[in-house]
Amino acid sequence: MREMMILMMSSLKHMFTGFRFLAPVVLCSLLLGCSVSVIEISGNYPSPLVTQLPLTLGVIYDDNFTNYSFTEIDEYSGEDQYIINSGTTQVQLFNTILPAVFYEVVFLDNLEDVASHPGLDMVFQPAIEEFQVGLPQKTRLDVYEIWVKYNMRLSAPDGASIADWVMTAYGKSPQETFGSVDAGVNEAAVEAFRDLAGTFSLGFTSIPEVNDWLRSNNML
Amino acid sequence: MKTVNLLLKAFLAGGLLLLISACTTTEIDEFRQSSTKIEEDSSIVILGRRQSNAYETEENFVQCVGNVVASGSDGINVIPEPLFLDEMFPFFEPRMAPMRTDHLAQLMQQEEAAKKFEDFGVKYIVWLDGQTQRSGETGSLSCVIGPGGGGCFGFGTWVDDSNFEAEIWDLDNLSTAGAISADANGQSYVPAIVLPIPLLARVETSACSGLGEQLKTFLRGNA
Repeated sequence: MREMMILMMSSLKHMFTGFRFLAPVVLCSLLLGCSVSVIEISGNYPSPLVTQLPLTLGVIYDDNFTNYSFTEIDEYSGEDQYIINSGTTQVQLFNTILPAVFYEVVFLDNLEDVASHPGLDMVFQPAIEEFQVGLPQKTRLDVYEIWVKYNMRLSAPDGASIADWVMTAYGKSPQETFGSVDAGVNEAAVEAFRDLAGTFSLGFTSIPEVNDWLRSNNML
Repeated sequence: MKTVNLLLKAFLAGGLLLLISACTTTEIDEFRQSSTKIEEDSSIVILGRRQSNAYETEENFVQCVGNVVASGSDGINVIPEPLFLDEMFPFFEPRMAPMRTDHLAQLMQQEEAAKKFEDFGVKYIVWLDGQTQRSGETGSLSCVIGPGGGGCFGFGTWVDDSNFEAEIWDLDNLSTAGAISADANGQSYVPAIVLPIPLLARVETSACSGLGEQLKTFLRGNA
């Protein structure tokens, strides 16, 4: 009986020794399961097929725009669920659209930099006002959705405002096509940014204030 | 041993019976408005409609129909959808894409767009719109795993229904040449005695091949 007890204790000890190595792996897996997922949006944006405006545009991307990040909160736990970084890809997007729409584009560091470029016709500053994500597990729809609200500011080189308008972009991607949330969110975001590129490049001259300015400067 | 053999035979017979049942019914309808003909050096482009909020025509389905249309000795040149969308950007993005042929006529007045169409040699645009919906999911299937092995037991079944419509636009006349619709449905079964045996109704594949073949005939002007 005593021998059996010793044998059992020995087996249990052996089992726990095995678990000692397994425990950190299990613990890491559990922690990973609860940790926030970081999604870095990336995509390729084609140059729009539009007639170029004979204008030299100065463009300023501020730090909020270049480092734009949105955090989706888990509605049950209140903790960060997804961090969606889209600053880099949005800069890439505007760097593709603007040279297609304007004859010349000058990238400026800040408003003070405008004085050192005397040939500028306009200065453009895009900003993101709102970013929303729709996940299938929350919306009960079979699609991932991204909605972005932009504030576009256009001013003369002397700082006088030409136009200040809001643009929205929407993109969605079907759930079945993508195996992971990251891929689904990325695809929806890229669709939204393409949507913005389309509406901006085709609708720029139709913004009433922009249209007035272009007409008064004999550009249309 | 005898019981196991009997069980196995019954299981195989059941499986075979269900295999016969897990078939798909496909109905193709065609509506022609004008005559069509496509030359060897001309191309078509097949695009998915994606303007609805609740669903969008899957890229995979569009690609599947394109593959069917392009295959065989009577195959037609099909421009890949992603290439066309990028080259024509942004005119065929979901919010900007022409919804009617008069919108297409307006688009053709834009020099850049008209030149791209000419470069591609596109004679017809085919708009695909539709989706596959699943319903009637019943049954239950459970799997267990233990130190001595594992297995599944149960039965699951569901119905898939694919509804797609292809609208064909003639770029020479800037008008609708016709429409083809495909409606496919079928019931799938998954019986499981130790191992699950999926007897799937390949509804979307069936709709794809039916629609693709009919589209080829339509564009060749043989219908």
